[in-house]
Amino acid sequence: MNQLNNTLTLFFSLLVEAFPFLILGVLFSSALLLFVDERRLIAAVPRNPLLAALMGSLIGCLFPVCECGNVPVARRLIVQGAPSAMAIGFLLAAPTVNPIVFWATWTAFRDQPEIVFLRVGLTLLITTIIGWVFSTQKDIRPLLQPAVARAVRPGEKGDRVSFQNSGAGKPTLLQSGTFILGEVGQPLRLDAFSGTASMSSARPLPEKLRLMLDNVVQELRELGGVLVIGTAIAAIVQTTFPREMILSLGQSPVTSVVAMMILACVVSICSTVDAFFALSFASSFTSGALLAFLVFGPMFDLKNIALLASVFRPKPIIYLFALAALLTFLFTLLINIYFS
Amino acid sequence: MATATQRRPRNSMRLQPLLDIAALLVWGVLLLKFWLTGKMRILLHPDYIWLAYSAGFFLVGLAIVKLVQFVVQVTQSKNRAKTPIAPPHFSLFPPGWGSALLLAVGLFGLQFTPQPFSSQVALDRGVTDTLALTRSQPQAFRAASLPETRSLVEWIRTLNIYPEPDAYAGQKVNLSGFAIHPPETPKDYLAIARFVITCCAADAYPIGLPVKLPGGDRSSYPPDQWFQVEGTMATETLNGKRQLVIQATSLKAIPEPASPYDY
Repeated sequence: MNQLNNTLTLFFSLLVEAFPFLILGVLFSSALLLFVDERRLIAAVPRNPLLAALMGSLIGCLFPVCECGNVPVARRLIVQGAPSAMAIGFLLAAPTVNPIVFWATWTAFRDQPEIVFLRVGLTLLITTIIGWVFSTQKDIRPLLQPAVARAVRPGEKGDRVSFQNSGAGKPTLLQSGTFILGEVGQPLRLDAFSGTASMSSARPLPEKLRLMLDNVVQELRELGGVLVIGTAIAAIVQTTFPREMILSLGQSPVTSVVAMMILACVVSICSTVDAFFALSFASSFTSGALLAFLVFGPMFDLKNIALLASVFRPKPIIYLFALAALLTFLFTLLINIYFS
Repeated sequence: MATATQRRPRNSMRLQPLLDIAALLVWGVLLLKFWLTGKMRILLHPDYIWLAYSAGFFLVGLAIVKLVQFVVQVTQSKNRAKTPIAPPHFSLFPPGWGSALLLAVGLFGLQFTPQPFSSQVALDRGVTDTLALTRSQPQAFRAASLPETRSLVEWIRTLNIYPEPDAYAGQKVNLSGFAIHPPETPKDYLAIARFVITCCAADAYPIGLPVKLPGGDRSSYPPDQWFQVEGTMATETLNGKRQLVIQATSLKAIPEPASPYDY
């Protein structure tokens, strides 16, 4: 009985702490999706692949979306001609490198500020490296799902070319409220944001606000559901697993990192609130393991793989996954061995 | 996923917004309820309570706006087809599950009264007189100048800076906490403990100091009961470890404080 009560108190305390941040993240992502035009960003990308990757990684500051919101945004960037380095950098870094996630992590780990800064730093480092690796693939199209690839005009920046719809000869971006590909029945209709790109223009403000509100409710509903499940897992693991087991797993520099990376993948918790989840493990796991969770989770998890599959072919997803996992493992292990 | 959404029957198209509204409303009310009944202090660090109740107000407001929108849409159902709908998202769940889950958990939360962690949790997590290794050291703190005005956490912090127990021998002690009966210590000792939180109850960790009881036997001081402990500090060797022990002159049972944690 006592056990149950402790689990529930833990569960609600995590939810109550995470909810405000979830709302903030959702509000920002909804507002920006409707009010920011990413074509201007693409126009400003540096030619150097390393710089492009770094810039892509930093763009998250302008799009504070968690991993559920950033795949659609990344796809818009790709379709509009962003270089692969930038798109990949954005894809992996945006959920972590943004002000809301920074604040949430700070709130959770203000006792250990190094976790907050290392989280951002490591994410930037890893995503820039991966973006750079992917920049060797000059033409991004072979990596993409055929339907996405058809929509891409490679090597050209979206602002310079009037981007043509594959079917109708009209510039897609000017067709307000339609999907980017414009073809009903394309698999791309899987998600919403391919369409919302064009919402940033040509709609009256009240309508934009209404759409934004709809989007807020939709994201709250879905991310809230994931949050509840993730929080329940955290609370149950914390209170029911024998402490010795968790400690023996959590104190070794290697197993702790591996365990937290697997956990991050399975739990699929949203990056705006994952710091609170990690916090509940703070006393029993190594700092490197907590960082592995905070860095790797937003890049890859079960929920996000399904989203990635709507953009990329399986092989590049495996490469992305392998690179991200190995780099995260390497860096957090180094931190465990040399800094703590 | 999107095509499945499109094929949804009309009934669920109507049900979904209502489910959303109910989930938002229940969560808003839940956050406000925890705040108004003071239970938020059991869940969160006081610094973040404003975030939680702001979220509560926001959710209630959003629910009301959506409800008004819904009523307007239903009454003017002719326009419904024309009003643009934000395209459906991709998600793990079928539509409606997220809201249903949120609604169910929210309703359950309204019935639930959070309780501070028990002494058993403290034992499980390991009571120490040092701040755990994974906790980083406080950057600054002001210890009360008079020993008898130090709280438990101030004692622990002072002890962390200068761990030699003899330095504190004979100093007066007057602090409060709940009782723990650590199985390994003799029967005439208990530990007086508190949970310290930095963010929310999830990171609560126990701190405590052993108390040598004036009456001899700890069975008259049940675990989980809160006590105001008065006495003096002394050095003893307990469980093979030389450490600071409170020689209690009096233990007064007190009700559990409204904010049971230390910060």
